Amino acid sequence: MIRGQYISYKHQETDILKDIDVNVGTGQFLAIVGPNGAGKSSLLNILANEIKTENKEKIFFKNRSLSDWNIGELSQHKAKFSQHNAQDIPLLVKDVVMMGRYPYFESQPKPDDHIASEKAMTGTDVLNLQKREYNSLSGGEKQRVHLARVFSQLDNKSENTLIFLDEPLNNLDIKHQHKTLELIRSFTKNNNTAIVVLHDLNLAAQFADQVLLMEKGTVLSYGPPEKVFTAETISKAYGFPCTICKHPVNNNTMILFG
Amino acid sequence: MISKSQSLTFYIIVSLIFLLLMMFGALNIGVFDFGSSSSYQVFAKLLSGDPSLSTSERYIIWEIRTSRIVMAVLVGSMLAVSGTTLQGMFKNPLATGEAIGLTSGATLLAAIAIVLGHTFESYLPEIVRNSLVGISAFIGALLAMITVYRISTSAGKTNVVMMLLSGVAITSIGFSVTGFLIYISKDEQLRDLTFWNLGSLAGATWTKNIILSIVLLLSYIVILPKGKALNAMMLGEKDAEHLGINVEKLKKQIVIITALMVGTCVAFSGTIGFVGLIVPYILRFLFRSDYHFILPLSAIFGSILLLAADTISRTVVAPSELPIGILTSLIGGPIFIAILIKFKNTLR
Repeated sequence: MIRGQYISYKHQETDILKDIDVNVGTGQFLAIVGPNGAGKSSLLNILANEIKTENKEKIFFKNRSLSDWNIGELSQHKAKFSQHNAQDIPLLVKDVVMMGRYPYFESQPKPDDHIASEKAMTGTDVLNLQKREYNSLSGGEKQRVHLARVFSQLDNKSENTLIFLDEPLNNLDIKHQHKTLELIRSFTKNNNTAIVVLHDLNLAAQFADQVLLMEKGTVLSYGPPEKVFTAETISKAYGFPCTICKHPVNNNTMILFG
Repeated sequence: MISKSQSLTFYIIVSLIFLLLMMFGALNIGVFDFGSSSSYQVFAKLLSGDPSLSTSERYIIWEIRTSRIVMAVLVGSMLAVSGTTLQGMFKNPLATGEAIGLTSGATLLAAIAIVLGHTFESYLPEIVRNSLVGISAFIGALLAMITVYRISTSAGKTNVVMMLLSGVAITSIGFSVTGFLIYISKDEQLRDLTFWNLGSLAGATWTKNIILSIVLLLSYIVILPKGKALNAMMLGEKDAEHLGINVEKLKKQIVIITALMVGTCVAFSGTIGFVGLIVPYILRFLFRSDYHFILPLSAIFGSILLLAADTISRTVVAPSELPIGILTSLIGGPIFIAILIKFKNTLR
């Protein structure tokens, strides 16, 4: 689906990323984890074609170099949910969600677009907010509006699509954190791919197929959760002691800190 | 339920009918008295090519009144659309040609062309010489625009304070240079310069109207379909790009086209301030910030506003007339303050 080799990125003489290799297959849910400043968001931005670097030629999306795609075409194959969403948009919620359908219509939304945006709003539980002013919503609700927008953008006939999510769980309550992760998982079950920056290691262990643990711009460990999440690796990455055990009910890997 | 596309068409048709009625009404308002026949009878005679029409009547109804009404419609429309587009690009309702110094930039170079133009005119090709003031106004607007954008925007985010302050700086440079030019200029040039500074549609001619129509047509073909793109800009430039919008190209188009529109309007009618602020402000009450609505509608409401203002300006102190810039600034100033108060908290 997407692969990149030797991805490096410098910002004002500081190395943010150093020679990172990633290869994410179709239907995979990859969680990027790591301490603050490890370069998680930078890696996501580069893969999502947000930063202009010479790396573009080294990143292959659907076997074509990112620099060979045009922006319009790309928008029907991949979408990105950003960490900092605009707080001031003087529009109704449904108009904000409908922006996700902009790649599909010229001036007026078609019936397909209405169906897709309603489906996405149902998915993130904002359908009942659709006639509200976006600016009147709480932080978590705004977050869910943008999640709906991003998911509606990839509701198309294309075989496999790719979604990037940068800390999608910020501001969300427990129920919506789980609902969102389930939404991502059902998205990947349909042969789509998700690359998600997460902070909660336990949720990453529970939902992700693959985990990429970063530290200071390099990959510390990359593989399935049970391989990456060992007490030794985590303590090394975060500089904080932890214990690994099994969840008493569902037997998932559980990480306890302190 | 009326769908959104139908309601946009509905609003466009209703406001167009309203504009036509206003143009019709404005035809009958004016200082000249046609005696026994009404203005409409004279206009009908003109259309049917009636030989009984005297040259002076013909001149008044066609060369003065009709051409002035048409010019108000064209200039008003372009000023409003340029304001709306700028606000979309800067993502702020305070961005208008006056606030960010675009108008001053255009006025400044137009003034230089008027006063000093004769010194280098002979080196220029014929076509440039004839439209020297217009071209200078366009270049002035473009330079001001680029300067303000470079100063106030970094990494896709506009700093509102920087945007307004760089506008203040450009305006003050423009003010001092224009002041100096007024000081050194001859009598005839002085009259022209005063005309720029206050703004007036009294200089309307059909030649100007044809040029304005061409500029309007070219600009609208590019700009009016950008409603969706300007909406997406509210998400931030990067997110707009993820939605398939070529943000760099869009911004270049907006910079050039708004400079072209403002420059042409300033060249022909001087500084008519705040149309680009008032019209979107009113439309936002009705349609929020949905540019899909307010962009095409501002093209019509701009005409309505300027035509109304011009008709008032030529009747209120008849037989003399009030410079129209005084009127639009009188409405625009308080609205600017109203928006400022609303933004007080976010500006801090």
